[in-house]
Amino acid sequence: MASRFDVVPDRENRDTYFLNMGPQHPSTHGVLRLKLHLDGETILSAEPVIGYGHRAHEKMAENRDFLQFLPNPSRVDYISGMIYNIGYCQAIERTMGIEVPERAEYIRIIGNELNRISSHLLWLGTFLLDLGAFTPFLYAFDDREKILDILDSVTGSRLTYCYGRFGGVVMDVDDTFLRNVSDFCTYFKTRFPIYQDLVIDNVIFHERTVGVGIFDQDLVQKYGVSGPALRAMGHASDVRKDEPYGIYDRFEFDIPIQQEGDCFARSLVRMEEMLQSIRIVEQAVKGIPEGPFMAAKVPKRIRPAEGEYYFCVESARGNFGMYIVSDGSDIPFRHKLRTPSFANMATMPDVMRGELLSDAVAILGSIDIVVPEIDR
Amino acid sequence: MSILANIAGVRESADVDYTARGFHHLHTIDSAALSDVARTFFAEGYYLEMMTCQDRRKVDQVFRLVYQFSRLGSLDRHVINLDMDPKDQPLSIALIFPAADWLEREVFDMYGVVFQGHPDLKRILMPEDYPEGSHPLLKDFVDPESKGDANGQPV
Repeated sequence: MASRFDVVPDRENRDTYFLNMGPQHPSTHGVLRLKLHLDGETILSAEPVIGYGHRAHEKMAENRDFLQFLPNPSRVDYISGMIYNIGYCQAIERTMGIEVPERAEYIRIIGNELNRISSHLLWLGTFLLDLGAFTPFLYAFDDREKILDILDSVTGSRLTYCYGRFGGVVMDVDDTFLRNVSDFCTYFKTRFPIYQDLVIDNVIFHERTVGVGIFDQDLVQKYGVSGPALRAMGHASDVRKDEPYGIYDRFEFDIPIQQEGDCFARSLVRMEEMLQSIRIVEQAVKGIPEGPFMAAKVPKRIRPAEGEYYFCVESARGNFGMYIVSDGSDIPFRHKLRTPSFANMATMPDVMRGELLSDAVAILGSIDIVVPEIDR
Repeated sequence: MSILANIAGVRESADVDYTARGFHHLHTIDSAALSDVARTFFAEGYYLEMMTCQDRRKVDQVFRLVYQFSRLGSLDRHVINLDMDPKDQPLSIALIFPAADWLEREVFDMYGVVFQGHPDLKRILMPEDYPEGSHPLLKDFVDPESKGDANGQPV
């Protein structure tokens, strides 16, 4: 698609203008500002301005010990907080060599995947809201509410979970929880044809998304794109398969891929991912063993050996990595959070060039940005 | 056989235990080798997964820039450590890896490291009008807008 770059940069005597989209704009999913240079409705250049949601999580990490930082990761990305929270626990468990009981591993998988579905449902609702479709939003949030209720019943929170602990999870799940989860799986599979008819097969949806916001292949290497945006470009890359953490290697699931790399392909990938997550949850509910949910021996003081560690998990938006430098004390020397949306957002100047202004909204929605996650 | 074997200025390359540390190779390089290293990784199909900095002035009087390269397909993760004098200005690799554009801006914002040849080096996360010379992730950072704690002591 070389033609996307054929837009002539600002010529003399040409009526171009600048438009500020955001920081307060309903389709920027938080506080994001886009400086757009426009010729009519065509975007000549786009510059994202980020940082409005900067809460200094990395500075906070350097000021408190490892356990005190535990509530923070789920606040980094509050839409899929469980994955971040448990990912952080797994990172510390790896550096400290803490064994996690089987039951806790299964509970974590269920929590992670339910959270991934709820995140994708929120994406589905808000993305279509951005495109001007109001009804799917109500359907998606209805289903999402069910997941939040299920997770609420065991974690006590609806979004910013602090459920994982170093060595397990804080509370055990009961049979009611497991029954609710499997009921939800059955229910959700009956809802899926509705989404297919209402959204994916919708002709307006096709017109707004097919061929819009194509990620060129070279962006992968230039920017380190990850998550559904990467899989929509034909790369079967998923941290859960590439470097399995927890017990993901025991579950059967596929990595959905599409080739086109446009907004429609990203949507299809996310829709299919929800079904795959349901598959994982069903296997986990079936296979969950009895036993302890917390490791018997967890060191009182978390003091990783001196050195640097990297641990990444597949969040709902892509490859979320934690780079931890320890100097052998209770407090990390450096804790860098590699968030997937940061890399995906950095591609926007390249992706948006030559697109229409109304499509900028679709592109932003389709990469499923959560701005506070970019800003950390 | 290390991928960086033939580059001058690569001081040390070591394989590390992936299961414990999460990456495969750790390299220590001189500032002069940075462009060559970045070009080599780009040519070999790696992407810049992460870049950051450590304020090690109290420990060994340096800033340590950290670059992490990874690739799709068969997993192979390299961490590059570059120790530099706090007064030095390292070269930007934003023209080789566009991902470094934002990442270097973040390092500048948080640590005050100026990258030579960066196309548009300005603050990224902190406000544009944040006091010059205030870089939050420095170990001796004092909030310029803070009036101190209850006793007026700096926090």
